[in-house]
Amino acid sequence: MFNNPYKFSLLLIFSLATTSVILAQTGDISPKRKQAIDSLALEKVRDLSKYISIIGNKKTAFSEATRVMDRAEELFAPDSEMGVSSLNSKEVKYYKVRKYFEHLIALNYDRVTIQWYDIHYISDLERQPDGRYVGVVTIYQRFEGVSDDGLKYKDTTKKDITIYVERKKTQVSGRIIEFWDVLLGDIRVTETSK
Amino acid sequence: MLRYLFAIALLVMTSPLVAQIVGDLDDESKLYAQSKQVNQFFRRFNGEEDEKGNRYYPADRQYQSTRLRKNYLGILFDEGNKGISPALKTEFVKDVLEKGESSILNFHGGNWFSEVNAIFTMNGVSQRITLYMELEKDHLGYKWVISKVHADTFDPYFKRDTTKVGRFLHPLSHELDFMNLRKAFERSDSISQFTAKRFTPDHLSVFLYEVKKGNLKFKSVEAVKFHFFQLDGWYFELSQFIRPGYNTGWLISNLVKLSSDADKKLLLAYLYQ
Repeated sequence: MFNNPYKFSLLLIFSLATTSVILAQTGDISPKRKQAIDSLALEKVRDLSKYISIIGNKKTAFSEATRVMDRAEELFAPDSEMGVSSLNSKEVKYYKVRKYFEHLIALNYDRVTIQWYDIHYISDLERQPDGRYVGVVTIYQRFEGVSDDGLKYKDTTKKDITIYVERKKTQVSGRIIEFWDVLLGDIRVTETSK
Repeated sequence: MLRYLFAIALLVMTSPLVAQIVGDLDDESKLYAQSKQVNQFFRRFNGEEDEKGNRYYPADRQYQSTRLRKNYLGILFDEGNKGISPALKTEFVKDVLEKGESSILNFHGGNWFSEVNAIFTMNGVSQRITLYMELEKDHLGYKWVISKVHADTFDPYFKRDTTKVGRFLHPLSHELDFMNLRKAFERSDSISQFTAKRFTPDHLSVFLYEVKKGNLKFKSVEAVKFHFFQLDGWYFELSQFIRPGYNTGWLISNLVKLSSDADKKLLLAYLYQ
Protein backbone atom coordinates (compact mmCIF):
# COMPACT_ATOMS: atom_id res chain seq x y z
CA MET A 1 0.00 0.00 0.00
CA PHE A 2 2.86 2.39 0.80
CA ASN A 3 5.28 1.07 -1.79
CA ASN A 4 7.25 3.80 -3.45
CA PRO A 5 5.05 6.77 -2.64
CA TYR A 6 7.46 9.24 -4.23
CA LYS A 7 7.25 7.57 -7.63
CA PHE A 8 3.49 7.55 -7.33
CA SER A 9 3.33 11.23 -6.38
CA LEU A 10 5.65 12.26 -9.21
CA LEU A 11 3.51 10.36 -11.69
CA LEU A 12 0.44 12.16 -10.44
CA ILE A 13 2.18 15.53 -10.56
CA PHE A 14 2.83 15.02 -14.26
CA SER A 15 -0.59 13.63 -14.96
CA LEU A 16 -2.24 16.52 -13.09
CA ALA A 17 0.04 19.12 -14.67
CA THR A 18 -1.30 18.56 -18.16
CA THR A 19 -4.71 20.02 -17.49
CA SER A 20 -3.88 22.59 -14.87
CA VAL A 21 -4.33 25.55 -17.20
CA ILE A 22 -7.79 24.40 -18.26
CA LEU A 23 -8.73 23.93 -14.62
CA ALA A 24 -7.64 27.44 -13.77
CA GLN A 25 -9.86 28.84 -16.49
CA THR A 26 -13.06 26.92 -15.85
CA GLY A 27 -12.82 26.07 -12.18
CA ASP A 28 -14.31 22.66 -12.93
CA ILE A 29 -12.62 19.38 -12.25
CA SER A 30 -13.41 16.53 -14.60
CA PRO A 31 -14.33 13.12 -13.12
CA LYS A 32 -11.04 11.66 -14.36
CA ARG A 33 -9.00 14.47 -12.82
CA LYS A 34 -10.99 14.21 -9.59
CA GLN A 35 -10.08 10.52 -9.38
CA ALA A 36 -6.39 11.36 -9.83
CA ILE A 37 -6.59 13.99 -7.09
CA ASP A 38 -8.48 11.52 -4.85
CA SER A 39 -5.63 9.02 -5.29
CA LEU A 40 -3.05 11.62 -4.35
CA ALA A 41 -5.12 12.66 -1.31
CA LEU A 42 -5.51 9.03 -0.23
CA GLU A 43 -1.77 8.50 -0.59
CA LYS A 44 -1.13 11.41 1.79
CA VAL A 45 -3.75 10.11 4.22
CA ARG A 46 -2.13 6.66 4.12
CA ASP A 47 1.25 8.24 4.78
CA LEU A 48 -0.28 9.98 7.79
CA SER A 49 -1.82 6.69 9.01
CA LYS A 50 1.56 5.01 8.69
CA TYR A 51 3.30 7.82 10.59
CA ILE A 52 0.69 7.76 13.39
CA SER A 53 1.19 3.99 13.76
CA ILE A 54 4.97 4.48 14.02
CA ILE A 55 4.71 7.41 16.45
CA GLY A 56 2.24 5.51 18.65
CA ASN A 57 4.31 2.31 18.69
CA LYS A 58 6.04 1.93 22.06
CA LYS A 59 8.95 0.16 20.37
CA THR A 60 9.78 3.24 18.31
CA ALA A 61 12.86 5.04 19.65
CA PHE A 62 12.24 8.66 20.66
CA SER A 63 14.72 9.98 18.07
CA GLU A 64 12.97 8.01 15.32
CA ALA A 65 9.54 9.16 16.52
CA THR A 66 10.75 12.78 16.39
CA ARG A 67 11.99 12.30 12.83
CA VAL A 68 8.65 10.74 11.82
CA MET A 69 6.75 13.59 13.51
CA ASP A 70 8.73 16.04 11.34
CA ARG A 71 7.79 14.08 8.23
CA ALA A 72 4.16 13.86 9.31
CA GLU A 73 4.01 17.62 9.94
CA GLU A 74 5.17 18.23 6.37
CA LEU A 75 1.94 16.68 5.12
CA PHE A 76 -0.09 19.48 6.70
CA ALA A 77 -0.94 23.04 5.79
CA PRO A 78 0.34 25.53 8.41
CA ASP A 79 -1.76 25.98 11.52
CA SER A 80 -3.63 22.69 11.13
CA GLU A 81 -5.37 21.37 14.23
CA MET A 82 -6.93 18.18 15.54
CA GLY A 83 -10.39 18.52 17.15
CA VAL A 84 -10.92 15.53 19.44
CA SER A 85 -14.11 14.44 21.20
CA SER A 86 -15.04 11.29 23.10
CA LEU A 87 -18.22 9.31 23.66
CA ASN A 88 -18.28 10.58 27.26
CA SER A 89 -17.98 14.25 26.43
CA LYS A 90 -19.42 16.31 23.60
CA GLU A 91 -16.74 18.94 24.15
CA VAL A 92 -14.15 19.11 21.38
CA LYS A 93 -10.56 19.53 22.54
CA TYR A 94 -8.28 21.25 20.07
CA TYR A 95 -4.60 20.41 19.58
CA LYS A 96 -2.01 21.63 17.12
CA VAL A 97 -0.95 18.67 14.99
CA ARG A 98 2.51 18.51 16.57
CA LYS A 99 1.04 18.55 20.08
CA TYR A 100 -1.31 15.72 19.12
CA PHE A 101 1.62 13.59 17.98
CA GLU A 102 3.55 14.40 21.16
CA HIS A 103 0.49 13.44 23.19
CA LEU A 104 0.44 10.10 21.33
CA ILE A 105 4.08 9.42 22.28
CA ALA A 106 3.43 10.31 25.91
CA LEU A 107 0.49 7.90 26.36
CA ASN A 108 1.09 5.82 29.43
CA TYR A 109 0.69 2.31 28.02
CA ASP A 110 3.29 -0.40 27.72
CA ARG A 111 1.87 -1.75 24.49
CA VAL A 112 -0.08 0.21 21.90
CA THR A 113 -1.74 -1.18 18.79
CA ILE A 114 -3.04 1.18 16.13
CA GLN A 115 -4.92 -0.37 13.24
CA TRP A 116 -6.80 1.17 10.33
CA TYR A 117 -10.01 -0.06 8.80
CA ASP A 118 -9.77 -0.78 5.13
CA ILE A 119 -12.50 1.73 4.45
CA HIS A 120 -12.45 5.36 3.47
CA TYR A 121 -14.84 7.94 2.11
CA ILE A 122 -13.82 10.86 -0.08
CA SER A 123 -16.08 13.87 -0.46
CA ASP A 124 -16.56 15.98 -3.55
CA LEU A 125 -14.11 18.84 -3.98
CA GLU A 126 -15.51 22.31 -3.34
CA ARG A 127 -13.88 25.54 -4.36
CA GLN A 128 -13.05 28.13 -1.70
CA PRO A 129 -13.10 31.91 -2.22
CA ASP A 130 -9.29 31.89 -2.75
CA GLY A 131 -9.59 29.43 -5.64
CA ARG A 132 -8.17 26.44 -3.75
CA TYR A 133 -10.25 23.29 -3.60
CA VAL A 134 -11.16 21.61 -0.35
CA GLY A 135 -12.40 18.11 0.39
CA VAL A 136 -12.72 15.71 3.31
CA VAL A 137 -11.43 12.15 3.56
CA THR A 138 -12.94 9.97 6.29
CA ILE A 139 -11.03 7.03 7.74
CA TYR A 140 -11.42 4.86 10.83
CA GLN A 141 -8.80 3.84 13.38
CA ARG A 142 -8.84 1.22 16.13
CA PHE A 143 -6.62 1.93 19.11
CA GLU A 144 -5.66 -0.48 21.85
CA GLY A 145 -3.38 0.37 24.77
CA VAL A 146 -2.35 -2.18 27.39
CA SER A 147 -0.40 -1.59 30.61
CA ASP A 148 1.84 -4.23 32.19
CA ASP A 149 -0.58 -4.48 35.08
CA GLY A 150 -3.24 -5.66 32.61
CA LEU A 151 -5.21 -2.43 32.28
CA LYS A 152 -6.59 -2.16 28.79
CA TYR A 153 -8.05 0.79 26.89
CA LYS A 154 -9.51 0.52 23.41
CA ASP A 155 -11.55 2.70 21.13
CA THR A 156 -12.51 3.23 17.52
CA THR A 157 -12.27 6.73 16.16
CA LYS A 158 -13.52 8.32 12.98
CA LYS A 159 -11.09 10.77 11.47
CA ASP A 160 -12.45 13.39 9.07
CA ILE A 161 -9.39 14.84 7.38
CA THR A 162 -9.47 18.13 5.46
CA ILE A 163 -7.57 18.09 2.19
CA TYR A 164 -6.55 21.23 0.33
CA VAL A 165 -5.90 20.91 -3.36
CA GLU A 166 -3.93 23.73 -4.85
CA ARG A 167 -2.00 24.61 -7.95
CA LYS A 168 1.75 24.80 -7.59
CA LYS A 169 4.73 25.29 -9.90
CA THR A 170 7.94 23.33 -10.20
CA GLN A 171 10.88 23.39 -12.57
CA VAL A 172 11.70 20.19 -14.42
CA SER A 173 14.61 20.26 -16.90
CA GLY A 174 14.37 24.05 -17.17
CA ARG A 175 10.64 24.00 -17.86
CA ILE A 176 8.09 25.42 -15.46
CA ILE A 177 5.42 22.85 -14.86
CA GLU A 178 2.23 23.59 -13.01
CA PHE A 179 0.62 20.83 -11.02
CA TRP A 180 -2.05 20.23 -8.39
CA ASP A 181 -0.77 19.29 -4.96
CA VAL A 182 -2.60 18.06 -1.89
CA LEU A 183 -2.00 19.22 1.66
CA LEU A 184 -3.77 17.93 4.74
CA GLY A 185 -5.59 20.37 7.00
CA ASP A 186 -7.66 20.22 10.19
CA ILE A 187 -8.72 16.79 11.39
CA ARG A 188 -11.87 16.08 13.39
CA VAL A 189 -11.43 12.99 15.55
CA THR A 190 -14.68 11.48 16.86
CA GLU A 191 -14.76 8.48 19.14
CA THR A 192 -17.39 6.11 17.77
CA SER A 193 -17.07 3.08 20.07
CA LYS A 194 -15.06 1.69 22.97
CA MET B 1 -32.82 -4.91 9.27
CA LEU B 2 -33.35 -7.04 6.15
CA ARG B 3 -32.39 -4.02 4.06
CA TYR B 4 -29.08 -3.71 5.89
CA LEU B 5 -28.34 -7.42 5.62
CA PHE B 6 -29.00 -7.22 1.92
CA ALA B 7 -26.70 -4.19 1.59
CA ILE B 8 -23.97 -5.95 3.58
CA ALA B 9 -24.30 -9.12 1.51
CA LEU B 10 -23.96 -7.00 -1.60
CA LEU B 11 -20.87 -5.32 -0.20
CA VAL B 12 -19.25 -8.60 0.75
CA MET B 13 -19.87 -9.95 -2.70
CA THR B 14 -18.64 -6.90 -4.54
CA SER B 15 -15.83 -5.57 -2.33
CA PRO B 16 -12.39 -6.92 -3.11
CA LEU B 17 -11.30 -6.30 0.52
CA VAL B 18 -7.70 -6.52 -0.59
CA ALA B 19 -6.18 -5.63 2.74
CA GLN B 20 -8.66 -5.95 5.54
CA ILE B 21 -6.50 -4.31 8.12
CA VAL B 22 -8.97 -4.65 10.94
CA GLY B 23 -10.31 -8.16 10.49
CA ASP B 24 -13.80 -7.58 11.74
CA LEU B 25 -16.30 -7.80 8.94
CA ASP B 26 -19.20 -6.99 11.24
CA ASP B 27 -17.64 -3.66 12.25
CA GLU B 28 -16.63 -2.85 8.71
CA SER B 29 -20.07 -3.51 7.25
CA LYS B 30 -21.52 -1.09 9.82
CA LEU B 31 -19.06 1.57 8.73
CA TYR B 32 -20.05 1.04 5.10
CA ALA B 33 -23.72 1.41 6.03
CA GLN B 34 -23.04 4.64 7.96
CA SER B 35 -23.66 7.95 6.18
CA LYS B 36 -20.17 9.11 7.02
CA GLN B 37 -20.32 12.69 5.79
CA VAL B 38 -23.07 15.17 4.97
CA ASN B 39 -21.62 14.88 1.47
CA GLN B 40 -22.48 11.18 1.50
CA PHE B 41 -26.01 11.95 2.66
CA PHE B 42 -26.39 14.24 -0.40
CA ARG B 43 -24.99 11.61 -2.74
CA ARG B 44 -27.15 8.83 -1.33
CA PHE B 45 -30.28 10.99 -1.32
CA ASN B 46 -29.62 11.90 -4.95
CA GLY B 47 -28.51 8.41 -6.02
CA GLU B 48 -25.01 9.48 -6.98
CA GLU B 49 -22.79 6.76 -5.55
CA ASP B 50 -22.52 2.98 -5.28
CA GLU B 51 -22.70 0.89 -2.10
CA LYS B 52 -18.99 1.39 -1.45
CA GLY B 53 -19.17 5.15 -1.72
CA ASN B 54 -17.69 5.43 -5.21
CA ARG B 55 -19.11 8.41 -7.08
CA TYR B 56 -21.41 8.03 -10.06
CA TYR B 57 -21.18 10.72 -12.71
CA PRO B 58 -23.85 11.94 -15.18
CA ALA B 59 -22.49 9.60 -17.85
CA ASP B 60 -23.11 6.55 -15.63
CA ARG B 61 -26.35 4.61 -16.13
CA GLN B 62 -27.10 4.45 -12.40
CA TYR B 63 -26.54 8.20 -11.81
CA GLN B 64 -29.61 9.57 -10.00
CA SER B 65 -31.63 6.51 -11.04
CA THR B 66 -35.01 6.12 -9.32
CA ARG B 67 -34.17 2.57 -8.26
CA LEU B 68 -30.93 3.62 -6.58
CA ARG B 69 -32.58 6.57 -4.87
CA LYS B 70 -35.41 4.36 -3.62
CA ASN B 71 -32.91 1.94 -2.04
CA TYR B 72 -30.99 4.73 -0.34
CA LEU B 73 -34.00 6.75 0.83
CA GLY B 74 -35.09 3.76 2.90
CA ILE B 75 -31.95 3.87 5.04
CA LEU B 76 -31.56 7.63 5.43
CA PHE B 77 -33.99 8.06 8.34
CA ASP B 78 -33.18 7.92 12.04
CA GLU B 79 -35.08 4.75 12.94
CA GLY B 80 -34.88 5.64 16.61
CA ASN B 81 -37.26 8.55 16.06
CA LYS B 82 -40.77 7.17 16.34
CA GLY B 83 -42.09 10.70 15.92
CA ILE B 84 -41.78 10.37 12.15
CA SER B 85 -44.70 8.12 11.22
CA PRO B 86 -44.17 5.37 8.62
CA ALA B 87 -47.01 6.90 6.59
CA LEU B 88 -45.27 10.30 6.47
CA LYS B 89 -41.97 8.67 5.46
CA THR B 90 -43.71 6.71 2.69
CA GLU B 91 -45.42 9.86 1.43
CA PHE B 92 -42.11 11.75 1.45
CA VAL B 93 -40.22 9.02 -0.40
CA LYS B 94 -43.01 8.67 -2.95
CA ASP B 95 -43.08 12.43 -3.53
CA VAL B 96 -39.29 12.65 -3.88
CA LEU B 97 -39.17 9.80 -6.38
CA GLU B 98 -42.10 11.13 -8.41
CA LYS B 99 -40.56 14.59 -8.66
CA GLY B 100 -37.37 13.10 -10.08
CA GLU B 101 -34.84 15.74 -11.04
CA SER B 102 -36.61 18.55 -9.18
CA SER B 103 -36.15 16.66 -5.90
CA ILE B 104 -32.37 16.43 -6.26
CA LEU B 105 -30.61 18.11 -3.33
CA ASN B 106 -28.26 20.84 -4.48
CA PHE B 107 -25.29 21.75 -2.26
CA HIS B 108 -25.21 25.26 -3.71
CA GLY B 109 -28.97 25.55 -4.09
CA GLY B 110 -29.67 27.54 -0.90
CA ASN B 111 -32.72 26.91 1.29
CA TRP B 112 -30.71 24.86 3.74
CA PHE B 113 -28.63 25.95 6.68
CA SER B 114 -26.71 24.64 9.63
CA GLU B 115 -27.45 25.04 13.32
CA VAL B 116 -24.26 24.93 15.37
CA ASN B 117 -24.55 24.65 19.13
CA ALA B 118 -21.32 26.04 20.50
CA ILE B 119 -19.93 26.73 23.94
CA PHE B 120 -18.43 30.13 24.65
CA THR B 121 -17.27 31.65 27.90
CA MET B 122 -18.74 35.02 28.86
CA ASN B 123 -16.52 36.63 31.46
CA GLY B 124 -15.30 33.18 32.43
CA VAL B 125 -18.71 31.48 32.61
CA SER B 126 -19.68 28.83 30.02
CA GLN B 127 -22.58 29.86 27.79
CA ARG B 128 -24.33 27.86 25.08
CA ILE B 129 -24.74 29.95 21.92
CA THR B 130 -26.39 28.83 18.69
CA LEU B 131 -24.86 29.93 15.41
CA TYR B 132 -26.94 29.62 12.23
CA MET B 133 -24.64 29.15 9.27
CA GLU B 134 -25.26 29.24 5.54
CA LEU B 135 -23.19 28.87 2.38
CA GLU B 136 -22.37 32.09 0.57
CA LYS B 137 -20.73 32.62 -2.82
CA ASP B 138 -17.57 34.69 -2.55
CA HIS B 139 -14.90 35.41 -5.17
CA LEU B 140 -13.87 32.10 -6.75
CA GLY B 141 -15.82 29.78 -4.50
CA TYR B 142 -18.07 29.38 -1.49
CA LYS B 143 -17.75 29.79 2.25
CA TRP B 144 -19.88 29.15 5.35
CA VAL B 145 -21.01 32.37 7.02
CA ILE B 146 -22.86 33.16 10.24
CA SER B 147 -26.30 34.40 9.26
CA LYS B 148 -27.91 34.54 12.71
CA VAL B 149 -27.07 33.95 16.34
CA HIS B 150 -29.20 33.06 19.32
CA ALA B 151 -27.92 33.25 22.88
CA ASP B 152 -30.19 32.72 25.89
CA THR B 153 -27.74 34.85 27.83
CA PHE B 154 -28.66 37.90 25.69
CA ASP B 155 -32.44 37.44 26.10
CA PRO B 156 -32.91 39.26 29.43
CA TYR B 157 -31.47 42.43 27.91
CA PHE B 158 -34.30 42.64 25.39
CA LYS B 159 -37.20 41.54 27.55
CA ARG B 160 -40.17 43.90 27.65
CA ASP B 161 -43.82 43.56 28.53
CA THR B 162 -45.91 45.22 25.81
CA THR B 163 -49.22 44.36 27.52
CA LYS B 164 -48.67 46.95 30.26
CA VAL B 165 -48.52 50.72 29.81
CA GLY B 166 -45.09 50.77 31.42
CA ARG B 167 -42.65 53.62 31.10
CA PHE B 168 -42.62 55.90 28.05
CA LEU B 169 -41.52 59.28 26.67
CA HIS B 170 -44.64 61.43 26.43
CA PRO B 171 -45.68 62.67 22.98
CA LEU B 172 -44.55 66.25 23.55
CA SER B 173 -41.05 65.32 24.72
CA HIS B 174 -39.68 66.83 21.49
CA GLU B 175 -40.74 70.31 22.65
CA LEU B 176 -38.30 69.94 25.55
CA ASP B 177 -35.44 68.70 23.42
CA PHE B 178 -36.15 65.24 24.87
CA MET B 179 -34.75 66.32 28.20
CA ASN B 180 -36.71 63.46 29.82
CA LEU B 181 -34.32 60.96 28.19
CA ARG B 182 -32.22 61.47 31.30
CA LYS B 183 -34.96 59.80 33.34
CA ALA B 184 -35.43 57.08 30.74
CA PHE B 185 -31.79 56.06 30.94
CA GLU B 186 -31.64 56.25 34.70
CA ARG B 187 -32.88 52.67 35.05
CA SER B 188 -31.00 50.50 32.59
CA ASP B 189 -33.24 47.45 33.28
CA SER B 190 -36.27 49.13 31.71
CA ILE B 191 -34.57 50.80 28.75
CA SER B 192 -36.09 48.34 26.24
CA GLN B 193 -39.53 49.84 27.04
CA PHE B 194 -38.52 52.93 25.08
CA THR B 195 -37.90 51.07 21.82
CA ALA B 196 -40.32 50.78 18.90
CA LYS B 197 -42.80 47.91 18.86
CA ARG B 198 -41.38 46.65 15.59
CA PHE B 199 -37.89 46.33 17.06
CA THR B 200 -36.61 42.77 17.06
CA PRO B 201 -33.36 42.08 18.86
CA ASP B 202 -30.42 41.05 16.71
CA HIS B 203 -28.25 38.69 18.70
CA LEU B 204 -25.62 38.53 15.95
CA SER B 205 -24.74 42.21 16.41
CA VAL B 206 -24.44 41.81 20.18
CA PHE B 207 -22.44 38.61 19.67
CA LEU B 208 -19.93 40.37 17.37
CA TYR B 209 -19.67 43.26 19.82
CA GLU B 210 -19.01 41.00 22.81
CA VAL B 211 -16.44 38.92 20.92
CA LYS B 212 -14.63 42.04 19.72
CA LYS B 213 -14.66 43.48 23.25
CA GLY B 214 -13.01 40.26 24.40
CA ASN B 215 -15.85 39.35 26.77
CA LEU B 216 -17.01 36.33 24.77
CA LYS B 217 -14.49 33.60 23.95
CA PHE B 218 -15.01 30.48 21.82
CA LYS B 219 -14.55 27.18 23.62
CA SER B 220 -15.98 24.30 21.61
CA VAL B 221 -18.65 23.04 19.22
CA GLU B 222 -21.11 20.76 20.96
CA ALA B 223 -23.51 19.70 18.22
CA VAL B 224 -24.24 20.39 14.56
CA LYS B 225 -27.40 19.78 12.59
CA PHE B 226 -28.86 20.95 9.31
CA HIS B 227 -32.29 22.21 8.26
CA PHE B 228 -33.47 21.63 4.70
CA PHE B 229 -36.24 23.59 2.98
CA GLN B 230 -35.01 22.76 -0.50
CA LEU B 231 -37.73 20.28 -1.41
CA ASP B 232 -41.01 21.89 -2.31
CA GLY B 233 -43.63 21.20 0.38
CA TRP B 234 -41.23 19.55 2.83
CA TYR B 235 -38.87 20.34 5.66
CA PHE B 236 -36.41 17.89 7.11
CA GLU B 237 -33.70 18.01 9.73
CA LEU B 238 -30.38 16.21 9.39
CA SER B 239 -28.45 15.10 12.50
CA GLN B 240 -25.49 12.90 13.23
CA PHE B 241 -25.99 9.67 15.20
CA ILE B 242 -23.00 7.99 16.82
CA ARG B 243 -24.27 4.70 18.24
CA PRO B 244 -23.97 0.97 17.71
CA GLY B 245 -25.68 -0.67 14.75
CA TYR B 246 -26.26 0.07 11.09
CA ASN B 247 -28.54 3.10 11.36
CA THR B 248 -25.78 5.63 12.09
CA GLY B 249 -24.11 8.76 10.74
CA TRP B 250 -25.99 11.64 9.12
CA LEU B 251 -29.71 10.77 9.07
CA ILE B 252 -33.05 12.53 8.72
CA SER B 253 -34.05 13.23 12.30
CA ASN B 254 -37.24 15.18 11.67
CA LEU B 255 -39.70 15.49 8.81
CA VAL B 256 -42.54 17.94 8.36
CA LYS B 257 -44.96 18.34 5.48
CA LEU B 258 -45.45 22.03 4.67
CA SER B 259 -48.77 23.00 3.15
CA SER B 260 -48.10 26.73 2.75
CA ASP B 261 -45.51 29.49 2.99
CA ALA B 262 -47.04 30.40 6.35
CA ASP B 263 -46.09 26.91 7.62
CA LYS B 264 -42.53 27.49 6.49
CA LYS B 265 -42.33 30.92 8.18
CA LEU B 266 -43.73 29.49 11.40
CA LEU B 267 -41.21 26.66 11.39
CA LEU B 268 -38.33 29.02 10.62
CA ALA B 269 -39.35 31.28 13.50
CA TYR B 270 -39.35 28.24 15.76
CA LEU B 271 -35.94 27.03 14.52
CA TYR B 272 -34.33 30.42 15.02
CA GLN B 273 -35.34 30.59 18.70
